[in-house]
Amino acid sequence: MTTPTVQARALLIIEDDAPIRRALRNALGDLAERLLEAPTGREGIDLTATERPDLVVLDLGLPDCPGVEVCREIRTWSRVPIVVLSARHSDTEKVQLLNAGADDYVTKPFSTTEFAARVRALLRRARLPPEDIATVVEAYGLAIDLLHRRVSRGAMPIRLTPTEWDILRTLVVNPGRTLTHQQLFDAVWGDAAGNPQQYLRVHITNLRRKIEANPARPELVVTEPGVGYRAELPG
Amino acid sequence: MAGSRLWPWVVWGVVFAVATAVLRAGRDTVDTVHALLAYLLVILGGSVSGGRPLGLALTLAGFLSIDYFFQLPYDTLTVSKPLDWLVLLSFLTTAVVTTQLLTQERARAAEAERRAGEVASLGRLGAEILSAGRAEDALAGIAERIRTSLEVAHCRIYAWDGEVVRLLTASPADAGADPWAPDVDELRRYAQRTDRDGWAGNAGEPAVLAALRAHGRTLGVLCLTDARPIVLDAAQRRFLEALAYYAALAIERTRLFAEAEHAEALREADRLKDNVLASVSHDLRTPLTTIKALAQEGARRGDAHALAIEEQADRLGRLVADLLDLSRLKGGVLPVNLEVNTAEDLVGAAIRQMAGLLQDRTVDTRIDFTEPALVGRFDFVQSLRILSNLLGNALRYTPPASPIELSVQREGAVLRFAVADRGPGIPVAERDRIFEPFYRPPGAPADVGGSGLGLAIARRLAELQGGTLEYTARPGGGSVFALRLPADGAPAP
Repeated sequence: MTTPTVQARALLIIEDDAPIRRALRNALGDLAERLLEAPTGREGIDLTATERPDLVVLDLGLPDCPGVEVCREIRTWSRVPIVVLSARHSDTEKVQLLNAGADDYVTKPFSTTEFAARVRALLRRARLPPEDIATVVEAYGLAIDLLHRRVSRGAMPIRLTPTEWDILRTLVVNPGRTLTHQQLFDAVWGDAAGNPQQYLRVHITNLRRKIEANPARPELVVTEPGVGYRAELPG
Repeated sequence: MAGSRLWPWVVWGVVFAVATAVLRAGRDTVDTVHALLAYLLVILGGSVSGGRPLGLALTLAGFLSIDYFFQLPYDTLTVSKPLDWLVLLSFLTTAVVTTQLLTQERARAAEAERRAGEVASLGRLGAEILSAGRAEDALAGIAERIRTSLEVAHCRIYAWDGEVVRLLTASPADAGADPWAPDVDELRRYAQRTDRDGWAGNAGEPAVLAALRAHGRTLGVLCLTDARPIVLDAAQRRFLEALAYYAALAIERTRLFAEAEHAEALREADRLKDNVLASVSHDLRTPLTTIKALAQEGARRGDAHALAIEEQADRLGRLVADLLDLSRLKGGVLPVNLEVNTAEDLVGAAIRQMAGLLQDRTVDTRIDFTEPALVGRFDFVQSLRILSNLLGNALRYTPPASPIELSVQREGAVLRFAVADRGPGIPVAERDRIFEPFYRPPGAPADVGGSGLGLAIARRLAELQGGTLEYTARPGGGSVFALRLPADGAPAP
């Protein structure tokens, strides 16, 4: 079930609820040599600074400070992956956290199996320095050549518009990571005004029609409802 | 009082006597005209300080004195020359006219002063009403001002809301027992009178009622009572009318304030309810996570019941979310975010969300990919909930082998998403009821997994976005649920 190649040095769980901490310990136990725990945001920030964990699991309902503040504070001096646990189920909150620098977001009640899978994906991604990302990404029968800006299915080249290419590239170089509509828009259009952000979704649909085997059941470019999009690479 | 009125007479009498004595002593050297001018000065002074009676009395005294002391022959009242008559009559006329003019001017000045006082008093009162923390305090202030200004024992202000008369001001403790208190029926009859004058009780009666009107409505009644008959002069009536208008405004303010307070209380209650629901839902989610985690651990160890525990935890989680949303939908506080979205994106997300429930079943998606993408203007998350609910129902309530179809097409200004199944369909009698909260099809197993709220929520969510959700029987057997959402006319760039 676990992939032995992913073994982190230390993971930090910032969560005030003891039963949840225990559940997370059991789910994440074989992913890291050491599991650190902090029941408050303040202790969590201190442990992140002193122990330098490979990943932080952050609960939003902390007794001492709002989770989004903890996220922002850690982001000012660390790029450690942060997975947020929330009980509030609001998409605006999710967007706010992702924009604040969180890497992933899980809503309670969640499945610990799925949660462990997401943590593993984040760890794997974090272990790859940006320059080590393969120049050709292969998934679902597609070959995406990041260097030569080419996409093909088998021997068939696929023609993308510049906008579609930029969207695909942005998603693929952040595999497994949900990018908010805002983050995607900023990455693709930069500060250029004039192209309405609302048409991002139409561009995504057109992109899927070209690259997905069944555009109505996309596998590579996955919708995170109300939040944004994510590239899901197998393996 | 009498002393202060007598003083000018005494003073100006003495001045007159002294002037006469001095002029008399030197009458051989002074001319008649000099005496005449001196008397005019005394008359002017007397008129100013003692008013018209003193002025006229001094005029008469001066007339006689000139004739007696200063016209030849001296010390008689005979007038020898016709020209002397002319002098005397000129003096008389000048003195009388001067006295008259002075008196009029004094009266005018006094009136102006009184008016200025009234204006200042009303201005102060207006400021008091505006600055009084509560409108009730302002009314008490107005009642007290009327009571003291008009010197009556009691001034009461009643509010009238079209049905009920309500006393707003209490009489001061030192006012004594009220000799004449109007009964409620009388006040009501009075408040319902439509005549514009708004006065009852004639001058001289021990009670006066005044209607309190503002902005064309009777807002209350003002009632003055006293042991003595109440007599109001024109100025006092004017004063009372102005204050009555202020009182009407203050009553209106109490009413608006009460309405605002009521609205605020309602909002507060609504907010509280929402907070309670949100925190209940929050508090339930955390233990549900623990239960699910324990169930998953159990499943890993091979516990046969673990899966059932997890399923029930999920069901409980859905029920909590549904209850919260139904309550928000009823309260009209569920936000919808209408944005440009494509139909395919929504269909793909719905199928993906159902993946866990599908197991070995399939959903046929029917989308024409040769046409440009269908674009609508809807809330992605809420529309996804609707479609997921429809697909979930189709999976739950139809036999395992029967196919399920999900199709999208454009119909004029709307996008029509249809979820069609080959299940038993819904009996005609039940078709209207399926969209009611807590509806369950008769004979459905109790643990089928739904909360009974899904379709009620789905329809409200569709309507909230300017769409519809309808059921039709499917030709050849089965059900079709059609979700219609507004299409977006703008073509893709």
